[in-house]
Formats: sequence, C-alpha cells, structure tokens
Amino acid sequence: MKLSQAQVVLLALSSGAVTPAAAQAAPEDGRWTMPGKNYGSTRYSGLDQLTPANVQRLKPVWSFSTGVLRGHEGQPLVVNNTMYVVTPYPNVLYAFDLTQPDYPLKWKYRPNVDPHALGIACCDAINRGAFYADGKIVYNLLDGHTVAIDAASGREIWNVKIADLADGETTPMAPLVVRDRVIVGPSGGEFGIYGWAKGLDLATGRLVWTARNAGSDSATLTRPGVFKAFYDKGPNLGLTTWANDTWKTAGAPVWGWLSYDAELDLVYYGVGNPGPWNPEQRPGDNKWSNSVLARRPGDGSLVWAYQFTPHDNWDYDSNAEMILADLTIAGKSRKVLVHFDKNGFAYTMDRATGEVLVAEPFVSLNWARRIDLTSGRPVLDSSKFTGASRGNVKYICPSLEGGKSPVSAAAYSPRTSLFYVSTVNLCMDYHAEVKARIRGTPFIGASTPYVAGPGGHMGEFIAWDAAAGRKLWGIKEKYPVWSGVVVTAGDLAFYGTLDGWLKAVNARTGQPLWKFKVGSGVVGAPITYRGPDGRQFVAVYAGIGGDWSLISGDLNADDPSDVRDPADFIKDLARYTTQGGMVWIFAL
Amino acid sequence: MRTLVGSVALAVLALAACAEGKKPVAADGAAQQTAATLTLAGDSLRNPYAGQQQSATEGAKLFSSMNCDGCHGGGATGFVGPSLSDGRWRYGGTDGAVFQSISQGRPKGMPSFGGLLSPEIIWKLVTYLQSLPVPKAVPTQAW
Repeated sequence: MKLSQAQVVLLALSSGAVTPAAAQAAPEDGRWTMPGKNYGSTRYSGLDQLTPANVQRLKPVWSFSTGVLRGHEGQPLVVNNTMYVVTPYPNVLYAFDLTQPDYPLKWKYRPNVDPHALGIACCDAINRGAFYADGKIVYNLLDGHTVAIDAASGREIWNVKIADLADGETTPMAPLVVRDRVIVGPSGGEFGIYGWAKGLDLATGRLVWTARNAGSDSATLTRPGVFKAFYDKGPNLGLTTWANDTWKTAGAPVWGWLSYDAELDLVYYGVGNPGPWNPEQRPGDNKWSNSVLARRPGDGSLVWAYQFTPHDNWDYDSNAEMILADLTIAGKSRKVLVHFDKNGFAYTMDRATGEVLVAEPFVSLNWARRIDLTSGRPVLDSSKFTGASRGNVKYICPSLEGGKSPVSAAAYSPRTSLFYVSTVNLCMDYHAEVKARIRGTPFIGASTPYVAGPGGHMGEFIAWDAAAGRKLWGIKEKYPVWSGVVVTAGDLAFYGTLDGWLKAVNARTGQPLWKFKVGSGVVGAPITYRGPDGRQFVAVYAGIGGDWSLISGDLNADDPSDVRDPADFIKDLARYTTQGGMVWIFAL
Repeated sequence: MRTLVGSVALAVLALAACAEGKKPVAADGAAQQTAATLTLAGDSLRNPYAGQQQSATEGAKLFSSMNCDGCHGGGATGFVGPSLSDGRWRYGGTDGAVFQSISQGRPKGMPSFGGLLSPEIIWKLVTYLQSLPVPKAVPTQAW
C-alpha cells in the first residue's frame, strides 16, 4: 500500500518515529497475515495495550497440542478472527475459531506428504509458516509441494510440485505473495542442489518463472539493462565465479524469509551456502551463494545482488531476513535493508542499489577483520581459511550456527529505531574433507564441533542500532537464543529461549519484565494480534527442534531406538527441555 | 512354506514398485533389483564378514564416502538420522535386518542404496556398524 505524504507525516508524529517506511506505517489492523507481519518483515505491531507497566499480569489463556514433536519454527497467522497453524511434517493446517469460547477448530487440512522427505530435510522436518492472500492460506509441504487452501472452508484450491526430493530438495520455507505471484524456494544446501527461486500464479499455482541462484545470466534471469549491482560488474557472474561446472551442484538454497518493497517493486531474499562445505572443491567466489538478491516479483528479473561471504569457507548461509526500514544515517534519511548474517556482521544497505552503508560485527567473530565498504568484500584472516588440505582449523567464530540463526527472525521498532535480535555465541573447529556427490544424499564434507564463545554464555538477546552499527544493550542467555522476535507499540519485545521460556522485556531499556515456561524450547517466533473482543493477545509455538534435534540428540524422546549422548558443548540442555509441540496464547 | 516364500517375494516386489512411484533418492537402480535378491535379504541372512576387522575398517571408510555420515553423523552417533551406535535398532539389528535397511531403505527417510551398492559393500557397512562399541550407560542420563 502507498500512503500519502500527509499520512506518513501524521503516523510519524503519532508514533514518535523519525521516518517510518511506507511498508511499516500502515495503520495497525490487529491481524498477522504474513510471516514477518508486513512486507518490510519488521515484526512490529502497532498494538499498545500491553506495556511495561502491565505485562507482569500477562497470563496464558489457551494452549493446544499440535500432536507433532518436530521443531516448531515459524509463527501462526491471525486473519478474520481465525488462527492458522501449520505443523512440522506432516504439515497439518489447523484453523481455530477465535470468536468461540475455547477456540474450537473450524477445520483441519491433512495433506499427503511423502515421508521420504524426512531423509532429505537437512535439519529436522520443520516448517516456517504460511502466507495469507486473496482468501487463501498458501504454504509449502516438506516434500516439495506448495498448496493453496481456502481460508474459509479448508478446501484445497491447488497443490503443485515445485521441488524434487530425488535431487535433495525439500521445502520448509514460508512463501511470500506479491500481487498475483507466490514466491518459493528450496532447502538443500547440504545436498548439492542447484538452488532457485520460483514465481507461481496465485490463482492456479502455475509456474510463471524459475530463477537460478547460480549459472548463466539466462538461468539467473540477469537481463541487460535491468541488472545493476553496486559492486560486481560483468556478464555471467553466476558462471564465471565457479570452477568448471561446479555451479551445477551449487547448493545456494532459499530457505529463509522474503521481503518486498512496493515502491521499488523489489523482492529481497537471502541465498544459502554453496556445496560442499569443503571450499577447495569449488574455487571462486561462488556467486550468488551467501548473497542477497533483489528481483522483480512479476518476472523474476534480477535487479541487483550482493554477496556477503564470497567463497564460503564456513557454511555462512545468508538466508536470514532482510528487514526494510527508513533510517537516518549521517544526517540523511536512507531507505535501507538491514540483515544479520550468519557470518556475524550486521549489514545496513541501500535497498535500491545494494550499496553497503554500515557493516559491523554484532557478535564475537574472527574469520574476518572488517568489511571493506569500498569493495564490499570482507577483509579475511587467512589463519581461519578451511579446506581438506588444511586439516582441522581450530576456533573459528562464529560457528556455522551463525552469529544469529536465519531461523530466528529479528524485529524492528520504528518507535525506538532499534532492531531486536536473538544471537548465538558459539565458535567451531572445522575439519573439511573431500566429498563426492551422490544425488539425493548429503553433500557436506566437514566435521565442525562447537564450543561456547568468549564469555561462556551461548546466547544473547540484543538491541542493535543499525544506523550506527552498534549494540545498545544485551541480555545474556545460557543457551543460544534461537527464537524469532516481536516488538510492539507498547515498547515490549518478546522472545523465547531454548530452555522453554517466553520472555518480555522493555524495548527501550532491555529490562526483563515477564517470563513464562511454555514446556519445550522455543524455536518459533512470537506474534501479537487483536482478538474479536478488542484485547491484545500474544501467541507463540513451543517445540524445540531444528538444528537442536540434530546437535543435541538427547532432547528427542519419541524413539526408543535412538538414544544419544548429549552434545559436548551443551551437556545439560536436556535437563530443562525435551521435544514438544504446543500453541500458546497469552492475554492480560 | 513355498506359498509363504512366494507371497513374501510378491510383497517385496510390491514394495519396490511402490517405492519407485515415490521416487526415493539414490534409488534409481533399486527397481532393477531382482526378486531373488530381495527375497534373500531376510532375517536368515548372515553377514559373510562378521567380526572381520578389515571389513569393518573398509566399512568405516564407505560410511563416509557414501555420505552415510551426512545423516547419521560421524561415528554413526546420530544426526538428522538416528544413532546407529547405541545398540538399539528401529528396524531390527540382525545381520539381515541391517542389510535390508541399507539395501531397501526405510519409511522414515532412509534412502534405498540397493541400486547403488553391491551386496559386498553393504555387508562391509553392516560389519562396520556391528563393530561399534555400545556404550554401557545408555538407558540412564544423569547430571
């Protein structure tokens, strides 16, 4: 939507913000229709009933077991007084009637999902949520299908195959819908897939365009006169930055969150790691792995691209969200994109051109010294280069879990002009080995044990000033913080912890104000919405999983034939949590 | 008994056909397996390399080079796929059952490798897994 100048000024005045972006300045409708709350992916809600003064009285009013024990990433949607919940595999879609006492189901949709996907999904059988558009709930099944479900009746409108399990592709990401285009992508960076994004027709599911993330200009939809990267020039960058035909097994998946700027008509998405993890098997920059791509949603054309980590040595995927905001930088108002990369740097970029304006570490890191803003490239520490010929390279920070997991989407409040970020303080050793690709099997080739980073705490919830590139405050957590965040006009920020707490803090000061134990670790993202009775509610999934079901296998409790020792670096997490699968709703 | 063997063979064939329809990974050659191969892979099968150190060592290398470790973790201690070193087996731990898990795949995500690996190679993988020491204190985790 486009606001008039006067509306923008009025909103700016009423919210106390300097210059809120059009995307986030829409009047608060109390709903939650897409993963990031709005196209700018700010996860900011204009609801203000809950405040630092009353949040101590927040209490659970309802809970529901999803019946699934896998990692509950993502978030519910709330539209037309209905809450929509997508479970991890087998990807059941529940529709709860929020107008009735006890929120009974209106319907549930149970798709037939190929169980072979369980062996192809790299990091637990998770799902990152749905998108509401044009009366439809659109989401991906793990086995490479996208479905559109009638939001009122639960009837399947279309169900199309978008990805190929046999090639190592699965589809846990949440689609983004822009006008009549549904944009989707695959996981499979650990299977040597040939990564892509696709645009489907919202009405029918028909495939309209496929854009590869590596390969020739025709494959990447890089068109003369349209593509104008700020740093990288020349044709066929997706081909010339790979040795021989290694681009064919590029990896470069799309499993994170997408954003959209209506004024520029650009969709932004992050691209994941190149395969395999042994970098010596793929000399070159390996574009556009570990990059942000800006495309036209209509035809998929690439407009600009920027690579955060050229020639990845450390599995630093860039699938984390791109948050769109208008910030004042050096006295000038800039339309920016803010991205917290796995590589530990927070990037503030001009979202029209791809120029990096600010790039500073938001966690402890040692693989690079800084980002050179002239070239846009990291200044590397050669002692942290990895590869099969280098043996075991010790103590690289951050670990491949990232300074922040792309799973845990950050939030931005135009009231405080701050970003709220779940971070991870882990370092790793990296022992690469040569790997052959066997289609449909893991194409990894590195052993990477973790250890807690400097300070010994493994996580911190921080407030970040992206205009200056500095941390304002932080709350240290014993375990990695792996949940998404929501921030509100009541100046509250909510996040969850791996040991199973949902917490509320003062968004201005970082003062902890409230917490509740939700039963299982939180790897999803809290949301807030206005109920039919006008009250403000907060909802969140409990259900530890994702990487934690792999790394800390002693959390798994549903299989008597799979009993593991705890991971060395996190020996006692299983004292505090195990698998779960609950939807929680809170209110005053 | 003959009838029984016949019906088992048919059932296995049906399973293979079903698996083909589902397009399991690494199974391009699986459908080419003969009924004879499949019926042999029963509980009566005995590992010809049982207890042989050389086979276990070769199996350990194969466990990595065939990307088994990508799912089951280094040392088969478990990752996205279950631990194969805890002395517990979802589909049975006999020679034949482990052979069958690798050869034909299993429904919760284990691909079928029968079309990719010879029986000799699969037996070496089985020998490796059987050589892994089972930790003593598996049932109790205490802090």
